[in-house]
Amino acid sequence: MRRRALLPLPFACLAARPAYAATGRATLTVAAFPDLDRSAKIAIESWAASHPQVDVRLTTRAFDDHHTAMTTAIATGANLPDVMAVDMDYLGKFTQAGGLEDLDAPAYDARAAAPRLARFTQGPATGLGGHLRALPADIGPGALFYRADLLARAGLAEDDLTRDWDAYIAAGVKLKRSTGIYLLANAIDLKDILIRAGLADGQGVYFDDAGRPQVQSPRFAQAFTLARAARRAGIDARVAAWSSEWSEGFRRDRVASQMMGSWFAGHLKNWIAPAQSGLWRSAPLPAGTCASWGGSFWAIPVRAEHKPLAWDFIRTLCLDRAQQLEAFRRLDAFPALLAAQQDGWLAQPIAYLGGQAARLQWRAASERAPALHVDRYDQVAKAVVEAELDQVLEHDKPIPQALADARAALERRVRRY
Amino acid sequence: MHAATPHRPHRRRPLIPARWAPYVFISPFFLLFAAFGLFPLLFSVALSFHQWDPVGGVWSMRWVGLDNFAYAIARDDWLRKAMFNTVWIALVSGLPQHLVALPLAWFLHRAFGRWRNAVVGAYFLPFITSTVAISLVFSSLFSKDFGLVNAAFATLRQVPVLGWLMPGQAIDWSQPGYTKWMISAVVFWRYVGWNTVLYLSAIQTISPELLEAAEIDGASPRQRFLHIVLPLLKPMVFLAVTLSLIGNLQLFEEPFILTGGTGGIDQAGKTAAMHMYAVAFMDGDFGTASAIAWLLFLLIAGATAINKRLLGARA
Amino acid sequence: MNPSSAMPAAALPDSAPRGAAPARPRSRAREGRGALLAGRAIVLAGAVVMLLPFWFMFVFATHSNSEILSMPPPLWFGTSLGDNLRELLDRLPTFWQNLGWSFYVALATTLLNLVFCSLAGHAFALLEFAGKERFYAAVMMTMLLPAFLFMVPTALTMSWLGWTNEERALIVPAACSALGIFLMRQYIEAAIPRELVEAARLDGCSEFAIWWRVVLPLLGPALGTLALITFIGSWNNFISPLVVMRDMDRYTLPLALRSLQGSGQTPWGALCAGAAIAVLPLLVMFALASRRLIDGLTAGAVKH
Repeated sequence: MRRRALLPLPFACLAARPAYAATGRATLTVAAFPDLDRSAKIAIESWAASHPQVDVRLTTRAFDDHHTAMTTAIATGANLPDVMAVDMDYLGKFTQAGGLEDLDAPAYDARAAAPRLARFTQGPATGLGGHLRALPADIGPGALFYRADLLARAGLAEDDLTRDWDAYIAAGVKLKRSTGIYLLANAIDLKDILIRAGLADGQGVYFDDAGRPQVQSPRFAQAFTLARAARRAGIDARVAAWSSEWSEGFRRDRVASQMMGSWFAGHLKNWIAPAQSGLWRSAPLPAGTCASWGGSFWAIPVRAEHKPLAWDFIRTLCLDRAQQLEAFRRLDAFPALLAAQQDGWLAQPIAYLGGQAARLQWRAASERAPALHVDRYDQVAKAVVEAELDQVLEHDKPIPQALADARAALERRVRRY
Repeated sequence: MHAATPHRPHRRRPLIPARWAPYVFISPFFLLFAAFGLFPLLFSVALSFHQWDPVGGVWSMRWVGLDNFAYAIARDDWLRKAMFNTVWIALVSGLPQHLVALPLAWFLHRAFGRWRNAVVGAYFLPFITSTVAISLVFSSLFSKDFGLVNAAFATLRQVPVLGWLMPGQAIDWSQPGYTKWMISAVVFWRYVGWNTVLYLSAIQTISPELLEAAEIDGASPRQRFLHIVLPLLKPMVFLAVTLSLIGNLQLFEEPFILTGGTGGIDQAGKTAAMHMYAVAFMDGDFGTASAIAWLLFLLIAGATAINKRLLGARA
Repeated sequence: MNPSSAMPAAALPDSAPRGAAPARPRSRAREGRGALLAGRAIVLAGAVVMLLPFWFMFVFATHSNSEILSMPPPLWFGTSLGDNLRELLDRLPTFWQNLGWSFYVALATTLLNLVFCSLAGHAFALLEFAGKERFYAAVMMTMLLPAFLFMVPTALTMSWLGWTNEERALIVPAACSALGIFLMRQYIEAAIPRELVEAARLDGCSEFAIWWRVVLPLLGPALGTLALITFIGSWNNFISPLVVMRDMDRYTLPLALRSLQGSGQTPWGALCAGAAIAVLPLLVMFALASRRLIDGLTAGAVKH
């Protein structure tokens, strides 16, 4: 009866919701993830002022969600943004497929701008057909952060850690024996750095440019051996990075060092160990190794709607000195733009690191880093190698066996037809 | 006692002829299914016979026949491990979920008067807590040196009899030997309240006179539970166990957030659904992921068929 | 470690039953008071364990990041609630809109499911027609596939229909769930007496009238269960919105909250504050549904 009349009510939801009223203005869609979205917001402030006829819409998603959504969007052509952020971890997958715009094309001519950017980003940003497919916004040159006071307790100095890897392990043993403090959080960290040791421009970490796995090389053998040595010597705290135990380990003086990208100093200062200001220092990675932790890139999907506008926005994000410096100052995002890296601000002492002008050191590290080749299956290789390293560290698997298994597993998983 | 007695309607032709009624009734589902379910279903079936990296666009699919299935069954050792983990966790978290929920529901029905809804609500809360909070809180609870779980074990070790069952030292839950226990504990925590609610609502449909008559006849609560409640609850047990089977064999969220998306050291916490996701989005191999999905489907279908045979006889 | 598992399934003598107290048999003396209290204590202890993580979520919402991530974590409320809320709304200016959308989508999905699933359950449980069991098997099959396999096809379908970025894309595909049909069929078969339905048919009621006037009123607990599952499932779903929604002011809440999770600098306090707010409607939903579910039909309990 009367109640029955309510029945059609739920069907009202099927009616279309009015879309945004057509205003005659163009809408630029930008898709990013935290914290890159904050540097995008900074860029939007200045860019939107100079482009009053454009509406900029920024969409933020969690890191994994973003890349999943972008994968789906490129796959289906639906819901594509005009400007897409891509992290270094995912860059190989995206640039090696056909979904991102070729920025070498005359409309963009990114090649001309390439010399203005950190050299080592050229490799990752180059994709299908040897063309530039993305531009870097920020980078994470690697450094060794250590507690000078804890090392001093054991009579150790920075040079004992950085001279070479054997000295590093020996220092860890001495530290543990005399103070009970762990030198590093996890032996696995060593593997990540050592597999990047001694690489030249154009080489890949896990694959050569023909796509063959390189995991059975001396480079990996040395990485595994050193990680195992560290574990056996008992100098690592065996905690997973970013876990509560990990951060608590720093807070409670149980772990004395961490190798990570330059942005780690900001994390230390903001939430990990704000009380330890002045006690930490930054040093180059041991044995002159160069590694970079992450890096954010911006790209334009092939099927985007407003490509010229997108390119204009990306130029602001990546090639504008003021923008790069502002992001550096506010968000600790180390600029990829060389001109920004030359600013006098980099020589400023960092109070948290005891007044060290560490940014200069990080800049030097980024200049030395080689332009590596990234493969679309790099993430797969990383997982496979880590699984084998787990076997070595936890179950004492012999290293040659582990590397052979890794290679076989990779060839299986990365079936190249 | 009937709740509603239809009054005699005017004799007019029914809107829907009786012959067509069933089809009209199920048509909403099948229309929606045809539009939004059939296409994805067929798409994933087709995908399982192709190789496809989605980043290349829809037209980059390549036919490979049964190769994906052959790979998944014969050569994918991570899948085998993931399947083992999945079944392990399904059993270890699933059995207690029901074995605890049944007597708990009965006890709540019997022994909590006004407070019953509040207590049930407490047990139900885990079901609706967001995964964000869960990941944050449980990683802190299961910490080796500072977590409450290990602290509780340490305190209980002092208790005379119970203490002998407690582990001798602080457990590192991230080690492969313990990862699955940690995940199972969280899954149990999450769903035991849900099953309790299901069983409690089913117990409500048992007539009170029946139970009171049994009590007058001298039946103890346990006897009433075992001989009256349980048999009458069989349809609901079938339903709840089926839902558990399907949910547990498709488990993704809890192990994903507890292991930080990696599956833990030595892949100890990686479930089949997690592996499927990794194959799709990390390996860039949607074809194999679809093949694995259909293999998992066969497993779940088999399990539910067995369940139907055991528990599904109509009451 | 759940104390409930230690709860004795063995005999716990009963206390005074609800309703009229029948004559107590002489053999059953009041020996069980202590055991009953012990049982209650164990169940309550279990309830506290169940609540613990939930409690922490609310506590964390009032602390700052470094306090939350320290060991041991704070056990009582702190003073940063205001800061956290401010940061939440600052990082996520569309928070209230997201909350609203979540509510709208969940409510619409639930109402549609209540109607469609009970119709379909009625058909499968009470009617005979050609191909019934085969249809049912097809329905059940759809439950067994993992959600993310549907991501790419859903995105394609929505773009063909032009429903991208609209709520319809979230509500309509979920408007009649296989799980709901399963629940309804089970319940109707178990709890609706055939005689009633037959009587109505003999009286000349149309099938629709039977559904509306005979079956639906008796479906209270099942409708409550379905409403609860559907609402919660819709509320917590983030996979569909991820691929369908383009603008942040159209997001549903879980997706919006997830967007706060960055690498290392996640504002956990703000996130927990948001999650705490997000869970309140679910609590209300449970309170409403539990009345139907748990208290059930005390009058007119259906006999088997």
